[in-house]
Amino acid sequence: MAINPNETVLKVEDLRISFKAYGGMVQAVRGVSFDLKRGETVAIVGESGSGKSVSIKAIMGILAPNAVIESGRIEYDGMDLTKVSEEDFHKIRGNRIGLIFQDPLSALNPIMKIGKQITEVLHLSKKISSEEAKHRALELMHAVGIPEAERRFNQYPFQFSGGMRQRIVIAIALAGDPEILICDEPTTALDVTVQAKILELINKIKEERHLSVIFITHDLGVVANMADRVNVMYAGKIVESGTSEEIFFEPAHPYTWALLSSMPDLQTKERLLAIPGTPPNMIYPPAGDAFAARNKYAMKIDFEKEPPSFKLSDTHYASTWLLHPKAPKVDLPDVLRARIERMKGAK
Amino acid sequence: MVKYILKRIGAMLLTLFLIMTLSFWIIRLMPMSIFENPATPPDIQKLLMAEMHLDKPLFVQYLYFIKGVVTEAEFGTSVQIRPGMDVFEILASRIPPTVLLNIMSLLISIPLGIVFGTIAALKRNKATDNIISFLIVICISVPSFVFASVLQYVFTFKIPIFPTLYDTQAATFAGTMHSLLLPIIALALGPMATIARYLRGELIETLSSEYLLLARTKGLTRTQATVRHAFRNSLVPIANTIIPLITGIMGGSLVIEKMFAVPGMGGLLIDSIMAGDHFLTVSLLIFYSTISLITILIVDISYGIIDPRIRVGGGK
Ligand SMILES: Nc1ncnc2c1ncn2[C@@H]1O[C@H](COP(=O)(O)OP(=O)(O)O)[C@@H](O)[C@H]1O
Ligand code: SF4
Ligand SMILES: [Mg+2]
Repeated sequence: MAINPNETVLKVEDLRISFKAYGGMVQAVRGVSFDLKRGETVAIVGESGSGKSVSIKAIMGILAPNAVIESGRIEYDGMDLTKVSEEDFHKIRGNRIGLIFQDPLSALNPIMKIGKQITEVLHLSKKISSEEAKHRALELMHAVGIPEAERRFNQYPFQFSGGMRQRIVIAIALAGDPEILICDEPTTALDVTVQAKILELINKIKEERHLSVIFITHDLGVVANMADRVNVMYAGKIVESGTSEEIFFEPAHPYTWALLSSMPDLQTKERLLAIPGTPPNMIYPPAGDAFAARNKYAMKIDFEKEPPSFKLSDTHYASTWLLHPKAPKVDLPDVLRARIERMKGAK
Repeated sequence: MVKYILKRIGAMLLTLFLIMTLSFWIIRLMPMSIFENPATPPDIQKLLMAEMHLDKPLFVQYLYFIKGVVTEAEFGTSVQIRPGMDVFEILASRIPPTVLLNIMSLLISIPLGIVFGTIAALKRNKATDNIISFLIVICISVPSFVFASVLQYVFTFKIPIFPTLYDTQAATFAGTMHSLLLPIIALALGPMATIARYLRGELIETLSSEYLLLARTKGLTRTQATVRHAFRNSLVPIANTIIPLITGIMGGSLVIEKMFAVPGMGGLLIDSIMAGDHFLTVSLLIFYSTISLITILIVDISYGIIDPRIRVGGGK
């Protein structure tokens, strides 16, 4: 397959997803659009609860039964994934689009042998013999860096460490040979030292297998080495999107500023600037900009009217009234400016 | 695994010994003379007492009893129910109907409970689930002898298609079963509901587990994922409910046997307690305990087979 860098493999358009809950409809995703080009890594970054997992569960067709897709399209290979029936979806899952979960501790079946959990899908979807499936599984285990794969093949999840289990989850995701790999906070549940290795592994297999990757995280710090483009998500919307350089060096949205400031900085060991307040209740999302209540730069209009998306470059968009021509000029916070200068220097 | 099983058997024998001791002392300390029959002449009574060591202190009798059980499986002689008959022989004649009744109830309740529990979980919060869950609550909360009375009234009196009492003369196995069916059903409803309720809960939990989601993202269909990942995993904790279930059936059987005049252990136990036939009572208690312990052993071992965390952990 020749790689055409501008070919779009997946395109999400104005996706809106709500959940039926006791108090009303939880509006988890409120008009998300982004696309994924072949061979690139796109990150979706945002605090916990911003709707990242729900968005990608829609792509995988594994939304909870109480979810309602209110509108939007997910274009993939000439199909709209929001309309694909359950009977057809299992051919896409695993074989075309693979998913790596956040918590490898609970993602593996505790009473099924590791090997079987990898070969199972080969048997069921590809109809190959047991020996061949085992051979393929051992290859995959090698590929994701599991030593002594032959012995490990017959062990159970509880005999593996967290990092090793995540490698197994990755091997399972690769077993169907997908072209898109979605990683939902793949390192959040792991130790810092293990994190770096898993990220390295994801980058390595992405290169080797020419994957297109959607990388979800709540930690901008992880994104820098992974993503070509970044979407910043808040309260069910993408508030800023751009290339990694644009997001890190020219952030325009106060929420992105807050995320950048809250990133732990190993060099200076300066204290984290936690984002004040909590995300809004998504049963009654606020009028205006959802971030306004936590934003010290908020103006009157922010509480009344949603900001439109302002274009900063061909690749850089942000939804904040601060970019409106009539808005007062607000400079980057000093701490952040200093930090960006350092990051630029380090590059 | 072998070590695990041996350990279990060792623990079981120890428990059995403690139960034997306890039953002996509790029953023998009851204020009832072994011989209550005024018709037996006093000198014959004396002779018999000496023969059975009943004239010695209780502790010495206890040692004789343990020695008898351990060395020659000798549990004593009945003095009231069937005077002079070896207790073990009485037991042997009473075991088959009880075992048949209890095993049949269990064999019916487990698969039916699994079926209903699975249906309820898959149709969670729909009408089917609501109906099943309602019936489950009724079957769990109403004791088996109430079902027995209702069944007896409806199917032997109103629509007389079953005999009221157990047919001891039945020529064929089918005939025996025909007369045993109502007590079997009465005993099976409760355990069936218990299994259904547990399985429903477990299955609903596994159905929403991360690993089931992962199974689906691998490309398994919903049915494949449910059967291969959810179902087996939900059965593991069910194994634990089997123990109280079996003891529950045996307890219910005491009353049900009386109601349907089944000549089993249950009726015998009640009779021998009432009559003060102490040797018989003690051996019946030991028999019941042994059955329970064996069940626990079987469940424990099968638990190890289904759940690798136990097998591998304890099998080194
Ligand atoms: N099955 C569900 N029912 C109701 N609300 C849900 C459900 N799943 C997710 N949500 C809500 O949707 C919002 C977004 O969740 P999620 O996408 O998991 O966040 P994250 O960005 O941390 O991955 C949260 O407010 C969450 O409570
Ligand atoms: S639109 Fe207003 S509230 Fe929202 S980020 Fe911009 S300045 Fe803050
Ligand atoms: Mg999430």
